[in-house]
Amino acid sequence: MVTADELRTKPQTWFDDIEVGQEMPSLVIGPMTPTHLFRWSAAIENWHRIHYDQSFAVYHDGLPNILAQGSWKQSILPRYLKDLCLPDGWPWKVQFQHRAMIVPGDTLTVWATVTAKRVADGLGLIDMDIGMKTQADIETCPGTATIVLPIKGGRAVPYPFVAPNEA
Amino acid sequence: MSETKNPLTDEVKALIGVSAEKVEASPPWGIEREGLRIFTNAIMDPDPRYWDDEFAKTTKFGGIVTPPIYCSYIGRKTLAGTPDPITRAFAENPNSDGIGGVREGRDDLKGQLPSLPTPLKRILNAGNEIEVYAYPSLGDRIFSQAKYHDIKGRVTKDGTPMLIVTTQTTFTNQDGQVLCILRQSGIRR
Repeated sequence: MVTADELRTKPQTWFDDIEVGQEMPSLVIGPMTPTHLFRWSAAIENWHRIHYDQSFAVYHDGLPNILAQGSWKQSILPRYLKDLCLPDGWPWKVQFQHRAMIVPGDTLTVWATVTAKRVADGLGLIDMDIGMKTQADIETCPGTATIVLPIKGGRAVPYPFVAPNEA
Repeated sequence: MSETKNPLTDEVKALIGVSAEKVEASPPWGIEREGLRIFTNAIMDPDPRYWDDEFAKTTKFGGIVTPPIYCSYIGRKTLAGTPDPITRAFAENPNSDGIGGVREGRDDLKGQLPSLPTPLKRILNAGNEIEVYAYPSLGDRIFSQAKYHDIKGRVTKDGTPMLIVTTQTTFTNQDGQVLCILRQSGIRR
């Protein structure tokens, strides 16, 4: 996990320094516990019992254990992209699918690999494959993302972000 | 043997592009620190941009901001004074799964899309798509508007009818600034 001070002082990753095929720094989370899952349920008031009531999850829904919430994964991916872009880039867009269950005991690695880089409207766009793998190398939510990194000597990434014209 | 019909009927197709009412997703006091603290702890993000005023002032945001899609969760909460939806749901069904009856019975959930006129009830999550444009600041009020972005009909090789329904929810602040757009695709079968 990253610390507050690491995020406070994180040096900018520049568009110029990224290469296609490059693996971006990963984020390791876990091992996940029932307490982590319950904390998320309480934070967003999602009371679905399959996320914190093991008897219900196993004996009523036939699941192997309580499950990490899809909404939690949905929040972790943008958070990871945000970290990659700090301080002056932008985590523009991400799409993914829910492919495998995450259960207590899993340690997760959020990852990204650069598939393309391009410039549009003077902005440096980085396309990536992304995902969240378990310690057993099971991909739980494969997807793609596009982040915007500043170009050395180029214009600042606008905030609020304005999507570039890619036509 | 009769052939299975594509479930994308004219009635279903007519809902493509239909929007729900734009509603305020945030509580009356807007984005606040305690909700932000609880949320950022739950995603294990210690970023000082969420809690350190002095540091946040030095960033491009000029002050405390929220995580990228935080605003999409604040509308799910039960406001003080609302009859307790959990107690009611379990009184009606002691085996409640904790979500169906709890959410369905809440009268504070506004801005819902009209129901799809289809007998296909089982829903599987097929994927999510997120676009981020700005982060809310403390005190910002958040508004959301859902719409049916796209609906496709299919009949599988084994004759199973299905609809792939993509809903889109756009979150804006009090100035109309788009904060983020979330699309969720679900398979109805």
